[in-house]
Amino acid sequence: MPQYEELDHTADWAFRAFGSDLKELFQNAAYALFALEGALDAQSTLTREIHVEGIDREALLVNWLSELLFLQETKRETYQKFEITKLADTELTATVHGAQTQPITKFIKAVTYHDLKIIQTEKGWEATVVVDV
Amino acid sequence: MIQKHDLERISEFVWQVPREYRADMRAPARMWADEELLDDALTDKSIEQLINTATLPGIVKYAIAMPDIHQGYGAPVGGVFATATRDGVISPGAVGYDINCGVRVLASHVDAAEIQPHLKNLATALYRNCPSGVGVGGSVNLYGDDLGDILNRGADWTLERGYALIEDLPRTEEYGRIPYADAAQVSQKAKERGIDQLGTLGAGNHFIEIDRIAKIYDAESARVLDLFENQVVVQIHCGSRGLGHQVCQDYVDQFQRVVKEYNIVLPDRELVAAPFTSPEGQAYVGAMGAAANFAFANRQVLAFHIRRSFADVLKGHVNDFHLHQVYDIAHNMAKVEEHDVDDALTQVLVHRKGATRAFGPNSPVLPDDLKEIGQPVLIPGSMGTMSFILCGTAGSMAQTFGSCCHGAGRVWSRHRAKKEIRGDKLRAEMQERGIEVRAGSLSGLAEEAPQAYKDVSRVVQVVEDAGIGKIVARLEPMAVIKG
Repeated sequence: MPQYEELDHTADWAFRAFGSDLKELFQNAAYALFALEGALDAQSTLTREIHVEGIDREALLVNWLSELLFLQETKRETYQKFEITKLADTELTATVHGAQTQPITKFIKAVTYHDLKIIQTEKGWEATVVVDV
Repeated sequence: MIQKHDLERISEFVWQVPREYRADMRAPARMWADEELLDDALTDKSIEQLINTATLPGIVKYAIAMPDIHQGYGAPVGGVFATATRDGVISPGAVGYDINCGVRVLASHVDAAEIQPHLKNLATALYRNCPSGVGVGGSVNLYGDDLGDILNRGADWTLERGYALIEDLPRTEEYGRIPYADAAQVSQKAKERGIDQLGTLGAGNHFIEIDRIAKIYDAESARVLDLFENQVVVQIHCGSRGLGHQVCQDYVDQFQRVVKEYNIVLPDRELVAAPFTSPEGQAYVGAMGAAANFAFANRQVLAFHIRRSFADVLKGHVNDFHLHQVYDIAHNMAKVEEHDVDDALTQVLVHRKGATRAFGPNSPVLPDDLKEIGQPVLIPGSMGTMSFILCGTAGSMAQTFGSCCHGAGRVWSRHRAKKEIRGDKLRAEMQERGIEVRAGSLSGLAEEAPQAYKDVSRVVQVVEDAGIGKIVARLEPMAVIKG
């Protein structure tokens, strides 16, 4: 199963992430975010603990990805390995690994709710996400 | 998906989706376009997103699509609609993440031929002095209450600190200061994102461009704006950076939590809305105003660096390189305005996403010297092609809540542009045509390729023929600076 695929969107970026379970889905969605920015770094030199909440599963996904963008921008870091340690209906705890970033020139402004779908398929889970660039 | 035959042709350039098209519509939806631009809009979800905005509680008259409409998220890019302030809603997602993204045009008194020998140095100086990209510090260090002060006072702060000239302010929409801005409604996270971003360009479709005026179409308006053929001008396109993005993110999230309490049912969660008069609605209004002030200050600081770059490179070589401000115009805002609704002047909240104000002559909010010609409307085209300066008209006030288009409008996805266009080849092509290019990312450049956009001249022709704008000048690029 691929981690994600890029989808066509006229103005912004969109992707579909896959996972055998919800944890993996959330991890792969985070991976897709940084892969699309071309910001993946081979080395992991630092670790961060993340906790986010959301009113439902979709909100949780948006808030998880948004938190990563917030950290990327304010801490000047990028992440490439994501371990969700706890995933409940409305909260999530994760450990992420990454590195200090060189300035990057292609970045995502925000994660939107537009066309956001988290669905269960025969193979596992899929999430469609549109991001503003 | 909506088909062409679902739209009624109201006039040569106006197409309407009747209210009956979908049960949840509260008003019709109208698009200003010729047949080709309408066909473009029907290839993606633009019109469906437009129809979604027509379901928002309190919407008046009709939802509007400008001829440069394209698919976005929530509201389409190039979408305008107004809700009654009395009983209508405000939607942060319909304003967008880059709050008060906008365009500023500065003009010199120099002829294009005079700066030609210095163009390479100018482009390099602008690229160096106007930082872009994530992980790049801003060009202004902020201390103590500076950020709160900027959020509350916008361009007034930049004037106090020497980044603005007094004459810049009347040539900025709202004089560069949103009076109802409230820094207290901006989260700590948003402030953290903004603290080192003042005076930065950002990425995506943001740019600085040195242009020459290729043609004047309206001599009288050009005289008032001090524009002439072959004049060197500079365009800046950028917004409120991470601070604005976080404000939108915070309120979209918060509104998700309260939307049910207000019994608001929407076809797209990104359009999430709350009553304008509710505590949540008013908190967002204050935060949006603050983010808008940050964007005004950001463009003002960039203008300062551009003036400094011109002085550094041209002093001793060229006279009259001083840049005066032609205008600064906002996209991505919701503003309380009075418009004619059912033959009565009504207070409404006009949401403009990827669209601009275009107030006609004698509008009371314009400075006296612009009252005779109407508000300048600055319309950048796709990279390496052409841009336009227009003025608002009585027609825009009557038809589109005093609004106009904001650019060319995309037709290709970024994904397709990246696949079909090579950034290095595109740069070489532009350089062969004499355009200097400075870009941080070649694939970012490819995504902004002119093939990915509509023909801006067609877009502005529809605007003029439909009577919602009047063409004043056409600009052609000499140098493009991108993140």
